[in-house]
Amino acid sequence: MLPTLEELQILGLSLKVAVWSVLVSLPFAVAAAYSLARTNFPGKTLFDAAVHLPLVLPPVVVGYFLLLLFGRRGPVGVLLEEWFGVVVMFKWTGAALAAGVMGFPLMVRAVRLSFEAIDRRLEAAASTLGAGRFAVFATVTLPLALPGIFTGMLLSFARGLGEFGATITFVSNIPGETRTLPLAIYTYTQVPGGDEPALRLSLLAVALSLAALFVSEVMVRRATRRIMGDDADGRH
Amino acid sequence: MTLTVDIERRLGSFRLKTAFSAGEGVTVLFGRSGAGKTSVINAIAGILRPDSGCIVVNGSVLFDSTRGIDVPTPRRRVGYVFQEARLFPHLSVRGNLRYARLFSRAHEAPGHFDHVVELLGLAQLLDRRPGNLSGGEKQRVAIGRALLSEPRLLLLDEPLASLDTHRRSEILQYIELLRDEVKIPILYVSHAVEEVVRLADTVVLMSAGEAVATGAAEEIMGRSDLRGASRPFEGGAVIDARVVAQDLEHDLATLAFDGGTLTVPNVDALIGEPVRVRVRARDVSIALERPQRVSIQNILGGRIIEIGPERGGIVDVSIAVGSTTLRSRVTLRAARQLELAAGTAVYALVKAVSLTRAGPGPA
Amino acid sequence: MSATRLVLVVPLLLCAAGSPHANAAETIVLAAASLKDALDEAVRTFDTNTGQNTKVSYGASSALARQIERGAPADLFLSADVEWMDYLAERKLLRTETRVDLLSNRLVLIAPAASAVTMQIAPGFPLAAALGKGRLAMADPDYVPAGKYGRAALQSLGVWTSASGKIAPSENVRAALALVAREEAPLGIVYRTDALAERRVRIVAEFPATSHPRIVYPAALTAVSQSAGASRLLDFLQSPAARAIWIRHGFGRAN
Repeated sequence: MLPTLEELQILGLSLKVAVWSVLVSLPFAVAAAYSLARTNFPGKTLFDAAVHLPLVLPPVVVGYFLLLLFGRRGPVGVLLEEWFGVVVMFKWTGAALAAGVMGFPLMVRAVRLSFEAIDRRLEAAASTLGAGRFAVFATVTLPLALPGIFTGMLLSFARGLGEFGATITFVSNIPGETRTLPLAIYTYTQVPGGDEPALRLSLLAVALSLAALFVSEVMVRRATRRIMGDDADGRH
Repeated sequence: MTLTVDIERRLGSFRLKTAFSAGEGVTVLFGRSGAGKTSVINAIAGILRPDSGCIVVNGSVLFDSTRGIDVPTPRRRVGYVFQEARLFPHLSVRGNLRYARLFSRAHEAPGHFDHVVELLGLAQLLDRRPGNLSGGEKQRVAIGRALLSEPRLLLLDEPLASLDTHRRSEILQYIELLRDEVKIPILYVSHAVEEVVRLADTVVLMSAGEAVATGAAEEIMGRSDLRGASRPFEGGAVIDARVVAQDLEHDLATLAFDGGTLTVPNVDALIGEPVRVRVRARDVSIALERPQRVSIQNILGGRIIEIGPERGGIVDVSIAVGSTTLRSRVTLRAARQLELAAGTAVYALVKAVSLTRAGPGPA
Repeated sequence: MSATRLVLVVPLLLCAAGSPHANAAETIVLAAASLKDALDEAVRTFDTNTGQNTKVSYGASSALARQIERGAPADLFLSADVEWMDYLAERKLLRTETRVDLLSNRLVLIAPAASAVTMQIAPGFPLAAALGKGRLAMADPDYVPAGKYGRAALQSLGVWTSASGKIAPSENVRAALALVAREEAPLGIVYRTDALAERRVRIVAEFPATSHPRIVYPAALTAVSQSAGASRLLDFLQSPAARAIWIRHGFGRAN
């Protein structure tokens, strides 16, 4: 019951899509989380609601909005193509965009919580030692927020790995390009006799999720130990 | 060094309106809890923004509301030691100490780091993490961290408040060492008399958001009219004297000051060294004639300056002994019986003298 | 019966009362997505005339067949191809005596309304070249009937190998239609009925009927159906009154 080459390729594509979606959305999520946790600005509530939209809208609706905005005729899609020569329509990058958008609110929530938990007095101490605003963020705030950031990355990765509705609505089900694990499993279940590969792929998906969970646990524990100052860790 | 502070700030129902100047050495902001002391040093550090006023350190204007100057905290170069240390938990002790170096463009003087580490006894702690340090160790690291940021002024906010008694005296010694070894002026917030007496060259007395008096330590601590402004502390006098003789057999030293001499036990200082002592009002009795055949060793002649208000049947009598003012606490009845009044020549009988500070004073 | 027992029992009774099978007058139809506009109109007419209550659920024939297989309470199934109807027949899920070939359709090549592209569909026609950097929008050829017809047609015309790497497989034929309508794809393959329903696309050419298996829409009652009205509906859908509706939407006779 070993996976075929084609199935491994589907796995590889899914990993590529999920990993890139997390990496690219990370700086945006951190910025959004920081602004929601630490600043006040007109329209903050609206911004907060907008960030959470992908969580409450049906994925197909999100996929439709992505099509409207990022398709080759969409306003953002046109800009991306004209300024950067980047096209996401019918490409794995589009699938990554869909995954990233769907996982974004989860990442922001986790990161925001960790920012809010940081003792502001430590930041004040850092500024008396000569650290400007950005330096305080980079040397104190961010390191202390790492456990929350890793958690957010895992949540977003898991959500992106399982993303179906937005992906298929936005960039279709192109084998080798946008046919990620969930889309492939769906396709197999629609074909008479496709139950066996569907099951194989499903088991692969489970294994992948467990691996991601494990890695995330390790990272979070390490980061927390470092913050708690456990000498037994021997790291500095 | 000169520090000039003249600021005003409303914090809810509390109004801070403080003006004082301070010079070299250790300046203690002294006063009850809630008097506004921490707010003042927060303003100097730039953590708190006054509504109006100005703050000048050594000619550099840190804040001036009339000219719209408000130097951001990272550029003020004031080292701040917080009450709860506030060490960075994700860095080692070494990382904490070296933190300020990340933002400093100046070359570090060779050996400076090692010097500070040695001064504060941190060598064994360098690779430890703040989470595993005791309260006293944390404070020492905090002091070292502030020092290594090469500040032009050191602020300490009740650094001993969160420590137990044993640790307190240990850290107090380190701070005394700091005062003596390091040439940076220090602004120290405290509500504890002992710390004032041991450390202060200048005292700024704060009450209800205002600096009610500024002056040399012994002067401010002795003034009776200020008694109500601070937490009721033991009325008394602080005297700067010099060791002129040592009786090693009886472990007694003779201290001389311009009002006379004092014989004090257990003075661990050499002849010629300056020493500061404290004489509590309750330890001073008054006689109209010099008593003979009495156990008290210290009898000083002087003249009554004033008799303080009666409180619970007790009055504090201020006596001029040379240029020093001693204080004596007697019952109202005794004062009436002896017919004490301003101008009366009396003898002050000093039963006990506590030694508080040893070592070289400010340059 | 104690008060607590009453509180527990009443909701259960209500649930039982609300179950679909309890309402014998309601007919449930599962139909291929491409039938939507035409079937909606036919059903409206039928319900108005007979006072019956018909509910139609549209989707990909493959998905609908799977649902019936798993016990979905459908009375009538209208598939977009023979294969999925055969699939259910094999599993004895149909009343085979009721099965009829209801409609036929044609396969067309479409382009956005604003596009000026022209093409003659003949063996070896330059489809890949015409696509350029764009993609061919069509229903997924792996499992959607419209896609399977499209692949068969392209294969028989000898252009499948060159074009297969450039397709954008959609979950259903209407999604492919939408992609072309939005100008996200320069060309697409859909049913003639779909092309006629969408103003923002134009038909470039029609695939020869010989290039693909006949596009037939079989209909049948399900084995589990208890609705008397379903049989009457199926009869109506074959009547001249319904035929007028089918023709107006672009469908043809099945034979």
